[in-house]
Amino acid sequence: MRMSPRQWLLILLTLCGLYTLTQFFRMVQPCNLEKPVVSVVVHGQRVGANTSLVFVGGVPRSGTTLMRVMLDAHPGVRCGEETRVVPRMLSQRNTWAREAMGVSMEVLDRAVTAFLLGVIAGHGEPAPLLCNKDPFSLKSTLYLAKIFPNSKFLLMLRDGRASVHSMISRHVTIGGFDLSSYRDCLEKWSRTTNTMLAQCTQVGRERCMAVKYEQLVLQPRTTLKKVLAFLGQPWHEAVLHHEDTIGQPGGPSLSRMERSTDQVIRPVNLDALSRWVDYIPPDVKRDMEAIAPMLRKLGYDPMANPPNYGHPDPQVFNNTQRVHLGDYRTPVHLKIKSLASFDKDGH
Amino acid sequence: MRNPRLNMFLVGVILCSVSLLYLGLSGIECPPKNSGHRYSWVDPHLGHINQSQAFPIYYGEDTPLIFIGGFPRSGTTLMRAMLDAHNAVRCGEETRVIPRLLAMRATWSRSARERVRLDEAGVTDQVLDSAVRAFLLEVIVGHGEPALRLCNKDPFALKSLSYLASIFPKAKFVLMLRDGRATVHSMISRKVTISGFDLTSYRDCLTKWSRAVEGMYSQCQGSPEGSCLPVRYEQLVLHPEEEMRKLLHFLGLPWDQAVLHHEELIGKAGGVSLSKVERSTDQVMNPVNTDALSKWVGHIPSDVMKEMSDIAPMLARLGYDPRANPPDYTQPGPLLQSFNYTQLIINLGIRFKRSME
Repeated sequence: MRMSPRQWLLILLTLCGLYTLTQFFRMVQPCNLEKPVVSVVVHGQRVGANTSLVFVGGVPRSGTTLMRVMLDAHPGVRCGEETRVVPRMLSQRNTWAREAMGVSMEVLDRAVTAFLLGVIAGHGEPAPLLCNKDPFSLKSTLYLAKIFPNSKFLLMLRDGRASVHSMISRHVTIGGFDLSSYRDCLEKWSRTTNTMLAQCTQVGRERCMAVKYEQLVLQPRTTLKKVLAFLGQPWHEAVLHHEDTIGQPGGPSLSRMERSTDQVIRPVNLDALSRWVDYIPPDVKRDMEAIAPMLRKLGYDPMANPPNYGHPDPQVFNNTQRVHLGDYRTPVHLKIKSLASFDKDGH
Repeated sequence: MRNPRLNMFLVGVILCSVSLLYLGLSGIECPPKNSGHRYSWVDPHLGHINQSQAFPIYYGEDTPLIFIGGFPRSGTTLMRAMLDAHNAVRCGEETRVIPRLLAMRATWSRSARERVRLDEAGVTDQVLDSAVRAFLLEVIVGHGEPALRLCNKDPFALKSLSYLASIFPKAKFVLMLRDGRATVHSMISRKVTISGFDLTSYRDCLTKWSRAVEGMYSQCQGSPEGSCLPVRYEQLVLHPEEEMRKLLHFLGLPWDQAVLHHEELIGKAGGVSLSKVERSTDQVMNPVNTDALSKWVGHIPSDVMKEMSDIAPMLARLGYDPRANPPDYTQPGPLLQSFNYTQLIINLGIRFKRSME
């Protein structure tokens, strides 16, 4: 059907009218305000959901404290102590997601983000790169990666036999781990490690880096160079001498209540690598491959007691000798004689 | 000749309606001039600013929030619906997450050992309070329309009334009170589950009601002068205008006739938003009425009735005669002050002195 010029004009007028109408409505109606990015201001520093953050974690007794303390020695990074409340909030959020709450998940996630920012930024000194170390936070790696789009993750891995020996011999209570049974703890270690590693792999190598404890203590310089490159931070020698700046401004801050404090006041050393060897019960040793399949997956020979973890950097060897000579004793202000009434709980 | 013109006219009308429908449904994006502003949430210690046009630009510890609460089935939904009808206020539905968070916070403070651990980690009360405040503000601000005065209704949030008053010093609290017998009858007959309450036992529910209300009521009494107003449900439904005038004066809000006709604003922009899953929704869709006042009479087991004042001591304290079935709600008994030992001793001392003279 041919349209006359008059008809074209009519169409044009209608379209113009429509356009005017929509613009009019835009001006008059309340519009959907796009919500600002969640952020908080602490110590004069703005920290938002878009800020670069680092999350350090892993199964407890896998060198998570050592890693964060070495990072804390870097002037550009601050992790601080375990907050304890971050993993609890993350776990609550999962519960809330399952039971319908009266608010949308979007609002809930904003609220969780605000809370986490408040704690992470508020519980320690400001720094260009803020970091948080709560071991079990990395069970929520995917979620954290979503709400903090510029965050990175460091997953500490360790020979499960060593981790389990450490928690059992030091009586470090960890939710879900039965400290009377090497078998149970090794099974749980394997499962938890699998969960965390799977999420780490899923967020990708640009965002999550797995670090082996054994490599960190045997070859700290090489390992930390890789870690700092991954974090986009320049190299700084102080990370190899974390024991020199403990308690100082810009240096690592330690909690008297954390179970690894007496260990990380010492320089990086080899003592903890193979302590576990004579302690695994024979039946567990025999079934090791089946009990803890993650051992082999991570490259630890389940039948070797111990495996050859690698050769140490001479500096670390020296450190170890000096520790044995008694050079590094826990300073009085970090001892908790008066708090000794608290039980051996670590977590 | 007519037909093509008619066709085009119809096409034009259809196009018009479709675009208007689309705009209406999707909501309208803000005109570009707004995106010139940098949105950010900021507060002196740790908090929030929202640069939005007509509404408060600052959300932080000084925000004059309104918290409505009390024991469930005590008229909390009615109260918040009536306030929602006010053009300056927005409460919205129960968030359900706020009482959970407050309970978590209370757990962390309760254990001395945990407090030490948290302090050692730099997670001091101040840090936790700021983080909790940030969480609460995100929820309260985010879950409904903007408004000049934001409000939240989660009944059991007022179990943490004192804590909320400490982290939001300018907040106001509205504690709904009601004859416990009516409350408990409502719970049991409507099967409203509340954790810890045995819905097969009036005795159990009344005992627990009394304890829970005492906790909230004493926090209300103990809060800073002028920050908490107890409101009796019976008075609200019997004399709505009088009660609402008192309430709005307490909140520092101008009178708005709409609060007496909340049922007309249900589902409207700037009005009352109701939840599909809340238990009182079907009731508050109606105008304020006195239907629910004495439904409980005849349903309380006689053994419970006999021991009523022992089972639920808060009844008498709140001015409800435990032996009257029902009391005359138009003649309310006084709300008694919480038991003040200091005052008692002073009084006894004065009496003793007088008797010696």
